[in-house]
Amino acid sequence: MNAQFPIATTLKYNFPSPKETLQLHQLPKHFIELSLQSLKQTKHQQILPTKKTTTQFSTHQRPQPPIPTTELLTLTPNPTTTNIVAIDVSSVKLGETKTGILLGVRGAVVWKNPDHYRYLRLGPFPFHITRHIENRIRRLYHQNHAASYLQENSIPQAYFIQSRLTTLLERWIQSSIAHTTHNSIILWDGSLTAGTTETSVSTMQELLATARSNRNIILAFSKMTRLSLQGFRLTDLIKHTPPCLLRIKEYTDCIGPLRLMGNVYVAKFTKGSFAFRMDADKQLPSVRVVDAVQNLLGNDLILQSYPETLRLAHIFSTFTAIEVLGLQRCIIQKSNLKVVTKLNMHRLLFGRFGKGPEG
Amino acid sequence: MRLYKKEGATVQIISFPNEKVRKGDYLAIEDSKREESLIVQVIDMEYANIPGILEELLRNCNGDSSIEASIEGEDVDPFEVAAHVRYIQDARLLICKIRASTHKGKLIPTGFALPARSYARIRNISVSELLPCPSDKNGYPMRLGEIAEKKHLDVDVRALDGALNIITGKKGTGKSHIAKLLTLSLISHGAPVVILDLNGEYVRLGQNTKGEPNEFYSKIHVLTPKQNFKITLEQMRIRVLLNILVNVLHLPGTSAREFRRIWHFLEQKDALTIEELGEAIKNWRCNQHVRDALFSRYYTLLNSGLFTDNPAQATSLEDSLDRVRSGGAIVLNLQNESTTNRHILVEYVLGKLVELLTTWRLRAIFLFAEEAHLYLRETYWDDIVTRMRHFGVFTTFITNQPDTIRENIYRQVDNLFVLNFTNEHDLDPISRAARVDACTVKSIVRDLLPHHCLVLGKVVNDFPIIVKIRNLNVQMMGQTRLFFLNKDLQVNSIKR
Ligand SMILES: Nc1ncnc2c1ncn2[C@@H]1O[C@H](COP(=O)(O)OP(=O)(O)O)[C@@H](O)[C@H]1O
Ligand SMILES: [Mg+2]
Repeated sequence: MNAQFPIATTLKYNFPSPKETLQLHQLPKHFIELSLQSLKQTKHQQILPTKKTTTQFSTHQRPQPPIPTTELLTLTPNPTTTNIVAIDVSSVKLGETKTGILLGVRGAVVWKNPDHYRYLRLGPFPFHITRHIENRIRRLYHQNHAASYLQENSIPQAYFIQSRLTTLLERWIQSSIAHTTHNSIILWDGSLTAGTTETSVSTMQELLATARSNRNIILAFSKMTRLSLQGFRLTDLIKHTPPCLLRIKEYTDCIGPLRLMGNVYVAKFTKGSFAFRMDADKQLPSVRVVDAVQNLLGNDLILQSYPETLRLAHIFSTFTAIEVLGLQRCIIQKSNLKVVTKLNMHRLLFGRFGKGPEG
Repeated sequence: MRLYKKEGATVQIISFPNEKVRKGDYLAIEDSKREESLIVQVIDMEYANIPGILEELLRNCNGDSSIEASIEGEDVDPFEVAAHVRYIQDARLLICKIRASTHKGKLIPTGFALPARSYARIRNISVSELLPCPSDKNGYPMRLGEIAEKKHLDVDVRALDGALNIITGKKGTGKSHIAKLLTLSLISHGAPVVILDLNGEYVRLGQNTKGEPNEFYSKIHVLTPKQNFKITLEQMRIRVLLNILVNVLHLPGTSAREFRRIWHFLEQKDALTIEELGEAIKNWRCNQHVRDALFSRYYTLLNSGLFTDNPAQATSLEDSLDRVRSGGAIVLNLQNESTTNRHILVEYVLGKLVELLTTWRLRAIFLFAEEAHLYLRETYWDDIVTRMRHFGVFTTFITNQPDTIRENIYRQVDNLFVLNFTNEHDLDPISRAARVDACTVKSIVRDLLPHHCLVLGKVVNDFPIIVKIRNLNVQMMGQTRLFFLNKDLQVNSIKR
């Protein structure tokens, strides 16, 4: 480990290590090491900041084919005390170097206990993604089949690597939570789709199985803009007064390499035009899902069809413009970059908002 | 610090939290490659306008209205990014005015070169790098006060020579205090001073805080009308008296002509006394209206109590001025005098000064005038700053109402001492002074602490400087009269 970083090296756990009881406070050694490794190479390189520094994404959306039939499930909020945990991870592109890209990743967990919310933020972690690091990340996935088309010395493709890194942290936090939490509703951002370059079918199966064995239920929420049924937007299909769920039956399980590990629902919890796609573990009976959702409605604040706990996790993980600047500054200092001024702090700080003294 | 941008004579600099910069500080933006630097002064500070700051603040706010705020939590931040975020969050934008530039270490007043943004180095510079510090050997030093911790601002009192000065600030900020400081500095370098003391605040300049005589005791001459200051009609010049009659007592033109004849008549008779004047008006052959007009003015003069027919009781202003010729002050105590009397007295004194200056009995005189609009005719203003200045009357106006001083005076001002003002509109007239830019004055003055003064003009080589005016070991008298006493004092006196 680089001596510049005073980070405790007593981390017990390697990544990913779902068999052990993970403690969130102790980040996987590999993840931090990966970050440190990546930054080492940044030294003496010039950073070209991205024009749009706020390209953030935290969900994993993919186009879906049309769906055949639906089933409406009406809901009654159930106030029986239930613990809720939400997880979200965000990443942001910070800039580019000659050999790679700079990223920042952060995860957030929010717990909803009967009377209050509590959060844990992990990160932000800066990364300098080069071909070398990219390979290490791929090795971490134990996957060699996907995305091997990259040329030896080409710059890794921003979108894929950013999404991979985000998922890497996200799956790890999800795994930790699934292990350490019992009898809770676990909210994820995204879907239960596996078989992607980021998430193998076995990883997802393991996550779901762990959760089930601890009597947790995972509900994954995602914005659905592209889901449609016979030309109608799903949102418009729900005519029933909320709260209700629309179960999409016989949803195609496999699309190419993709596997849907969950049943897909349209969730409309409040009046208004908002509705979300909700995925729930396929292994669980539908009544169990309905029960959990009713508990969610009775325990969490729901605004615009979205659970507050998950919204908070999202807010705590996303980066503000200042955090982007702070991360850039952190990288510049820690990686001991020579050409500091090339990263135009002024522009970033004031941009088009800068104003004259009289203005 | 980093150079951000330049617009006209304004430069914006980004300063980070670990850099100590205050309003009024001077910075040098150095371009070492070209051996040039720009001398700028910080006149204002703003928060750096960072995109997303609102979001950031809202997210981290501790108010109780939002759910986020009421959440407790923990951060695992192994890279300590939070410190960097705070660093940026607290970045400030320094609004600076260009004051000068240097080439190869020499100050050059014009030709501002634009320093390279990428490598220009910005550093704090001390006032001593800008102003030569006068010593007794090479000049006439005057200590104004402190500019930074343990650093003093010494200027050359010669900057007041031949100059027109204004001291302004709201009530109780220390205007009279500065006037006293300037007076004592002038005196100690041997200059004669006349103070038009509206509130009797300067009468104890010769005493220390304990009321004992101080080093200036023998050099302060207080003239209190009716007590130790009376004049005979003969000491008056007809020109001065006519000025008073026409301009102060509004005597109509025809009557004024008649008065002139009476005066000459008495002069020939060698009977220029108040008593004879009354007799002469009574017996003068003239229109009844004229006589009435003359009589009413005569009684005003008579009742003023300023005149005496006994030469032994009369004060010779010439003699008094002789005593301060090589360093000293005449304090004309106008406290307790009516408006009319003040006018009469001031017209008389100024008339005498001009007379003595034109005949070279005096080389020059430094005149301090507190709230001059209360005893000086409007038309006297131009006279004082133009004609009388040529004769050698160098005036310092002291006022808490800057708009009572006419615009053309501001245009000619050489030195400005500005204390705190809360109302920005009060500053409008000052901003018209040729030596200042409005931004500098408005921005600095509203944040001036008590006893701190923005000094502008010749005395500081046109480098506006904020100085904490030093204390003086003299009886102040300027304290506002209050009804309620200090509580501790009251308790003590009851116990006793
Ligand atoms: N620089 C200073 N140091 C110490 N005391 C001061 C200073 N300036 C003013 N004071 C005190 O503050 C009070 C008000 O000052 P003064 O000069 O009378 O104000 P102003 O003439 O503006 O109304 C006085 O008691 C004076 O002694
Ligand atoms: Mg005063």
